[in-house]
Amino acid sequence: MLPAEDIHSALQKVPWFKSLTPEHFNKTAELTHLRHVKAGEIFFHEGDKQDFVYIVLDGRVSLDIFVPHHGKVRFCTAELYDVFGWSSVTPGMHQRTAGAVAVLDTTVACIDAEGLRQFADNDHDFGYLLMRRLANVVASRLMVTRLQLIDMFAGPAEYKND
Amino acid sequence: MTDKNLPLGGTVTLPKPEFDLLLADLRTNGFQTVGPRVQDEGIIYTKIDGLKDLPRGILSEQNPASYRLILTGKDRYFDFIPGGQSWKQFLFPPRHTLFSAVMDGKWQLKVSDEPALRYALIGVRACELAALHIHDKVFLREDFSDPIYRLHREGLFILAVNCLDPDATCFCGSMGTGPRLAAGFDLGVTELDDVFLVEVGSELGRSLLSVRSFDLPSAFTQNIANQALERAAESMFRTMDTSDLPGLLTGHFEAERWTEVGKRCLSCANCTLVCPTCFCWDVTDQVDILGKFTLRERVWDSCFNPNFSYVVGGNTRPNIRSRYRQWLTHKLGAWKAQFGVLGCVGCGRCITWCPAGIDLTQEVAAIRAEVKS
Amino acid sequence: MTTMLFNTTAHRAGFTDKLLLPHWAELIKIIPEAEGVTTFQFKFTDPEIENRYCFEPGQFNMLYVPGYGEAALSMSSDLESGNGLLVHTIRHIGNVTRATSRLKIGDVVGIRGPFGTSWPLDAIEGMDVVIACGGIGLPPLRGAVYRIIRNREKYGKVILLYGARTPKDLMYPTEYESWQKAGIELQVTVDRGGDDWTGRVGVVPMWFYHFRVDPHKTAVLTCGPEIMMRFVIYEALARRIPSEHIYISLERNMKCGQGACGHCQQGPFFICKDGPVFPFSALESIFNVEEY
Repeated sequence: MLPAEDIHSALQKVPWFKSLTPEHFNKTAELTHLRHVKAGEIFFHEGDKQDFVYIVLDGRVSLDIFVPHHGKVRFCTAELYDVFGWSSVTPGMHQRTAGAVAVLDTTVACIDAEGLRQFADNDHDFGYLLMRRLANVVASRLMVTRLQLIDMFAGPAEYKND
Repeated sequence: MTDKNLPLGGTVTLPKPEFDLLLADLRTNGFQTVGPRVQDEGIIYTKIDGLKDLPRGILSEQNPASYRLILTGKDRYFDFIPGGQSWKQFLFPPRHTLFSAVMDGKWQLKVSDEPALRYALIGVRACELAALHIHDKVFLREDFSDPIYRLHREGLFILAVNCLDPDATCFCGSMGTGPRLAAGFDLGVTELDDVFLVEVGSELGRSLLSVRSFDLPSAFTQNIANQALERAAESMFRTMDTSDLPGLLTGHFEAERWTEVGKRCLSCANCTLVCPTCFCWDVTDQVDILGKFTLRERVWDSCFNPNFSYVVGGNTRPNIRSRYRQWLTHKLGAWKAQFGVLGCVGCGRCITWCPAGIDLTQEVAAIRAEVKS
Repeated sequence: MTTMLFNTTAHRAGFTDKLLLPHWAELIKIIPEAEGVTTFQFKFTDPEIENRYCFEPGQFNMLYVPGYGEAALSMSSDLESGNGLLVHTIRHIGNVTRATSRLKIGDVVGIRGPFGTSWPLDAIEGMDVVIACGGIGLPPLRGAVYRIIRNREKYGKVILLYGARTPKDLMYPTEYESWQKAGIELQVTVDRGGDDWTGRVGVVPMWFYHFRVDPHKTAVLTCGPEIMMRFVIYEALARRIPSEHIYISLERNMKCGQGACGHCQQGPFFICKDGPVFPFSALESIFNVEEY
């Protein structure tokens, strides 16, 4: 466990945290711990009970889903300051819907999801800011997913004259 | 009595037999005289020698999806309104060999080099003259001029004729292109019962006319001609309001009417075929079975053809609705931005020759009504 | 809209008194790229044409394979970097482009061009530049990348976002390091990666969620699948980048390349003559009309 000052200085670099009031920031920092992993280390598997929401502070994390006959398919990466594991903060989801693995040596901030949910329930101002941030995260993921679904680089099914 | 001092813009009366001599003079001077002829119960434009080849005593009756000829028995040659062909076939041939190549160790190119024929167009109507001027803007641009068109245009002789009996599908009055001839011809003819009234439009026209037996027209003759021209303009009942074009069409791509007309249109491309201003073309490459000889041709094309807008991955206009919309929003819309004028001259051919009887004047009115409500 | 680059057309090949007559060019080099994609280098058989011919990045040639027809192909090269005069990176998916996959060194093709408008590298001097491209959309921008590198001090931050379906489909991977060394920030993304891919997985437009741009001084150049370009434009506009500073390269059915045959029309524009590079502001009113 790192000293509180290290967590504070790490979190202050994250753009979203810059918009929080000192009170909100400190309370969130109390729920956070930093974790350093080597490339290849797994954060969670599909089906795991949800416990933390993560923010990438350095490195890269890949999200994957197990597809029978295809193995683990990596469908998205989380880059610097990306949030992953966000579904643990939203009500209703009770287990991980994807796995997460570090593809490079990575440092993440792990925020206790249950604590964050309670904080949001008790302080609606903070809750609104949190949900707004998560809405953006989900929006960008949705856009990525849709474009991947459309498979815009696919060639035509049949060829004709140029 | 002949008067050798014939001014530009001057008008004379020419006995009808002199017409044949005029045409013969043109041929002596190296022109191919082409004009209207009756064929297969319609009017086509093809080689003619003189009055005997013209549609004598023929009147036309046009309606949406209907064209027929009526025999009047009169000794008149230009009472009909032109049929499904237009003059563009002479300056912009429907099919033209660009080059051929033979593989003989390497590809040897052989460019088709036949000299261009000099055409004398006999019987050009006001709308057709306007269409020719539009094609001048399309084919002869500063950044690119079509060499085939240019070659034929430079040597062109135009004998234009005033329309005295517009058909039901004509609406050149609304488009500002007729029925009276404006400038741009070598000779402009108004047909009376016993003579042709001929106006000199150019130096070439003047020199050809000056050796013929003509007379100065009497005031009486001039009056008859003017009355006939006025009657012609008044008798045209089909109109198109152009005051809000192109914006009306280019501002309403999602009007319901497009879907409605898209159900009636067959995408048969007749309208683009008969239209005197349509200019789209395609390039075809043919090769023999051994792959040693190839021929490259330019052919007419139409935005109604399904593959017209095919790109790898799909067709950007995959249905009839989108293709009809492209045709009309181009003709009465984008054309203005491209060439400075609308692309329609009001000849009515597209209405007559559409097998579904689609009338673009009605389509425009319907979209206007839909937009206003 | 049309930018006439030179007062005469002397620099063009095939712009003669005869319609659509190409100049012959010999194939001198073949470089396989990704699966189904090859880079070809040609040389005009007539040395005088070879001397006279020049182009700006963003323009295209009509490449004629005798017996098959012509295809509109963007220039993939850069005149001054020495990577060749006539270089085309070709994806073999149509009738003509499949025929090119059977070409051998020494075979001769016809070239007409260059046609069209180019990337406005002069107009965007002094700005940050975001180059967002995908798949076969990188070749038309490669010349622009080299031109920017040669004049690096004239531009602010330059970021190249490049996406492909899989790591195997990435174009010109051997050149990425030299671009990065020359001051181009490179972000490569694939739609799907395998276990050995440690780069980004996602789509090009998602980059806009990660980095702040200064909308007043950022220009965007984009080329690739139309869907990708559309989302790049959405994201750029959402970040308040003016549509006059977003440049896109369109593709349509082209036959003549000279704004004459009518095939490539989109609204009032002939894509071959008024484009293929457009500022998005010119297309805004017609870009999202479906099936137009």
